[in-house]
Amino acid sequence: MTTCGAALTELLEANGIDHVFGIPGVHTIELYRGLAGSGIRHVTPRHEQGAGFMADGFARASGRPAACFIITGPGMTNIATAMGQAYGDSVPMVVVSGVNQRHELGMGQGRLHELSDQRAVIRNVAAFSHTLLRPDDLPAVVERAFAALRSARPRPVHIEIPIDVLDLPADGIEAAPAASPSPPAPDPAAIAEAAQRLREAQRPALLLGGGALGAGDEARRLAEVLGSPTTLTSNAKGLLPPDHPLLLGSYMASREIAACVDESDLLLAIGTELGETDYGYDEPAGFANGAPSLIRIDIDPEQTTRNARPSLAITADARSAVAALLERLAGHSPRDGAARVARALRTDPKGSLEARFQRHHRVLEALRSALPDAIVVGDSTEPVYFGQTHFNANHPRAWFCSSTGYGTLGYALPAAIGAKLARPEAPVVAITGDGGLMYCLGEMASAVGAGAPVICLLWNNQSFEEIRHCMVEAQVEPVGVDLYSPDFLALSASVGWAAARAETLDALPELLRAAAQRSRPTLIEITPATFGELG
Amino acid sequence: MGERTTCGEALVRLLAEYDVDTVFGIPGVHTLDMYRGIANSNLRHVQPRSEQGAGFMADGYARVSGRPGVCTLITGPGVTNASTPMGQAYADSTPMLVISSENATRTLGKGWGCLHEIPDQEAVTRPLTALSATALSPDDVPELVARAFSIFSSSRPRPVHISVPIDVLAMPATGDWSARTAAALGAPDPAAIEAAAEALCRAERPLIMIGGGAVDTRAGGVAELAELLGAGIVPSNAGKGIVPDSHPLNLGTSMVKEATRAFVTECDVVLAIGTELAETDSYVEWLPINGKLIRVDIDAPKINDLYPADIGIVADAGRSLDALLGLVKAELPTPREDAAERVAAARRQRHAELDPLERIHQSMWDAIRAGLPEDAAIFADMTQLAYTGTFAMPVERPRTWFHAAGYCTLGCAMPMAIGAKVAAPERPVAAIAGDGGFMFTVGELAAAAELRQSLPILIWNNDGYAQIRDGMVRRGIPPVGVDSPNPDFLLLAEAFGCDRVRPGSFDEVSASMERALSAPRPTLIEVRQGAEWLS
Repeated sequence: MTTCGAALTELLEANGIDHVFGIPGVHTIELYRGLAGSGIRHVTPRHEQGAGFMADGFARASGRPAACFIITGPGMTNIATAMGQAYGDSVPMVVVSGVNQRHELGMGQGRLHELSDQRAVIRNVAAFSHTLLRPDDLPAVVERAFAALRSARPRPVHIEIPIDVLDLPADGIEAAPAASPSPPAPDPAAIAEAAQRLREAQRPALLLGGGALGAGDEARRLAEVLGSPTTLTSNAKGLLPPDHPLLLGSYMASREIAACVDESDLLLAIGTELGETDYGYDEPAGFANGAPSLIRIDIDPEQTTRNARPSLAITADARSAVAALLERLAGHSPRDGAARVARALRTDPKGSLEARFQRHHRVLEALRSALPDAIVVGDSTEPVYFGQTHFNANHPRAWFCSSTGYGTLGYALPAAIGAKLARPEAPVVAITGDGGLMYCLGEMASAVGAGAPVICLLWNNQSFEEIRHCMVEAQVEPVGVDLYSPDFLALSASVGWAAARAETLDALPELLRAAAQRSRPTLIEITPATFGELG
Repeated sequence: MGERTTCGEALVRLLAEYDVDTVFGIPGVHTLDMYRGIANSNLRHVQPRSEQGAGFMADGYARVSGRPGVCTLITGPGVTNASTPMGQAYADSTPMLVISSENATRTLGKGWGCLHEIPDQEAVTRPLTALSATALSPDDVPELVARAFSIFSSSRPRPVHISVPIDVLAMPATGDWSARTAAALGAPDPAAIEAAAEALCRAERPLIMIGGGAVDTRAGGVAELAELLGAGIVPSNAGKGIVPDSHPLNLGTSMVKEATRAFVTECDVVLAIGTELAETDSYVEWLPINGKLIRVDIDAPKINDLYPADIGIVADAGRSLDALLGLVKAELPTPREDAAERVAAARRQRHAELDPLERIHQSMWDAIRAGLPEDAAIFADMTQLAYTGTFAMPVERPRTWFHAAGYCTLGCAMPMAIGAKVAAPERPVAAIAGDGGFMFTVGELAAAAELRQSLPILIWNNDGYAQIRDGMVRRGIPPVGVDSPNPDFLLLAEAFGCDRVRPGSFDEVSASMERALSAPRPTLIEVRQGAEWLS
């Protein structure tokens, strides 16, 4: 007999899921029956939040979703934050959870792990959430979940299964891939209109977001065909290489970059929310006020109505939209965007930053020189805030962080573990602050357990430094921002990690290279003293 | 309130008026105006290492003191991080006030992609709270806070979550910001009490089941009633200590044991006070209640849920007990005697039937007990040692045994113990956790070290999630994901600046606990389940 739980695992495998993150529990045990004999690798975090962040890093590094097996109640509330981060940044993941037995649901009888309405909690961090009430429904529910993952804005999907249903027989369910609909292609008339306007534009600019990742090299080709200065949000970094003459960078709040965008006569925004966590909080670029004409392409029709009003909106998958545009733009003579970019970047964009941010330029460049092919996974911390706006990644999917969107702490290490499992050949570097690392400290042990030799670059300033600055600025006496920290080097040794402190910045590249050669994880601590500053 | 006082500051002052003396939280950009108030107040601010820690600390604070635990959190991840502790406090009926920020009013529900944005924060916590509400203007705040304290004082205590948008926090507070009079608990219906007293006095073999709702009944009251009636007593985990475990009529928190169930089966009248009679109170499928059932509960829907009452009394447990005692005393001036012998027989039988692992657990608990004074507050995480501890650990006083069985959350014990120690610094406090559970919130060890708490933390190390591993083996599932490599716990404790010890005998366990209670820092005590001296 195949149980419903085992059938689900088979269906996930048939749909290309090859990694599952989870902590088994009484409520998910039946999902594990099929696992041992399957091609799916199971990785155990030390907290369900770690499972979610691992799946997030796995997906961002590879473009492929992973699954999480989560117990009902505390497991689901534990993973909620990680799902929130994935929801905010449009990252796909499949969350399968248990829930109490059908006859217990909503009864408030105080059952083990009881939550009065689990899906009401999760609905806010998932694009799709369904309670499976009969094994017969399983194939259809999995198809719907994968349709949401593959054909719409990618966000977490959630299937919960009452434990009595998990145990029911589900013989005869064929483990076949779901017949997912293709993502929407653009309306040809709208593309013709967009291409016409782009041909007429004298000073076009291109704003690429994480949704444009699927267009790959074609996104760069589009910039070149248009001759358009191009900005990349955090999740779009690498679509144009750092030395590309059309790359304006990611610092939308820079006066010069904003001016370059504002002076455009046509903006083309693809797969971006134009949200505040990418485009700046204080000084919205002129386009937000509707100055230049704006064309928006997004897979999520609602998204084209938010933050900035377009004159033309196209609902479509970025890849097919870019391909269609390129076809329509054949023979177009590119404008001289490179000159505009050079003008905008004549003034060093980071020059206006406070010194405490600027100093991290040298850290990130040391990282680039030592490990040019590294995948960098950032937390919410000073060097990442700097990098988010000023670091140009060498490749797509080689930079992502949690300071965008939901803005969580504790993301970097578990997400780096997920990224390393997805791309074992690439060095993976988590950049985190001491405050952030403490959020998910247990995952240091998971990295060892998973055999994922990640590198953790720890910026240790023994505080929630960013918040302290905000407090001082707002004339609030700092409270709750100075942290007692463990000895991170000794701590690393206790979990089986290699560890070193970078005494100087010059020492950093060698430490990173050595770490990348190791078969176990390495923590590299940098402190104010690393910059030659008094701690 | 003057023109210059912001809503955030006024909110903090208002909390002080409700006798709040401590808040647990991590400040953020979204809570600056609350922290302006905290900085200028006498409130103690305790910083955990994750908002999950904040919630558990507030829960521990509340359980040990009986006063609501208060958290001040940022919007989005701060709230979802605290959702698991809120779920736990909900399941175990603990008063907890969570005050969080929310994004600016003009952005709510629009999906702009603001920092920390979640579609509907209030909806996320609704299944986890008695009340989840958003203050859309400063005037809403005093009213919502009054509702919160009214819920705590006069109904089933459960978490309350108040979201205050960041722009509202910064608005001037005008109008009446004084504390409002809290409602009193309801008194029992005299006719129902009379009927209950009559049934109890006529009973041949009465039984009293007590839960967390009876914790604040008059000291000795339940024991006196049991003695008059000649009734056996079975407390739930939350009711453990209301009657000393050494009391000759107390069967202990042992419904899971056959001997106790055999006793219960024969009872002809069962009085259940302030208990859900839930599966997590007994760990049995169905309670063998065959007699007439009298239920006293503050929560009306409880009276007729899984075990419908023959006589239902919706009222405060303390008042109901006093009223019952008055009538019973008049009817039965001298105690009945025969029950003590039957209770003693059941206890002997239970002890004889312990399995080999339970016997080791029993010896561990005896050793722990010997190292802790009677008033010590013991927080037991989700670990096999604690499951046995529910009946094996002798507890003599109320509010000294804390095992959060309802939501059954891994990792709750240490942060709860930290919060308890904050609430009652003069009380000895100890935490007991398994290796798996400890790792869930390991970062909070830094919080305990920062506070220099004299806190013994005993790790029962069975190298994995043993409860689940055993479950898989029982069901013929090859174990997956239950054997993660652990850190060297002693080195880890050192890295945190904590004392550490690995006892080599039961006497050393006792001595280690005792020593830890007066150490100027936390002590990590590791006991490996496989250690030779244990068997």
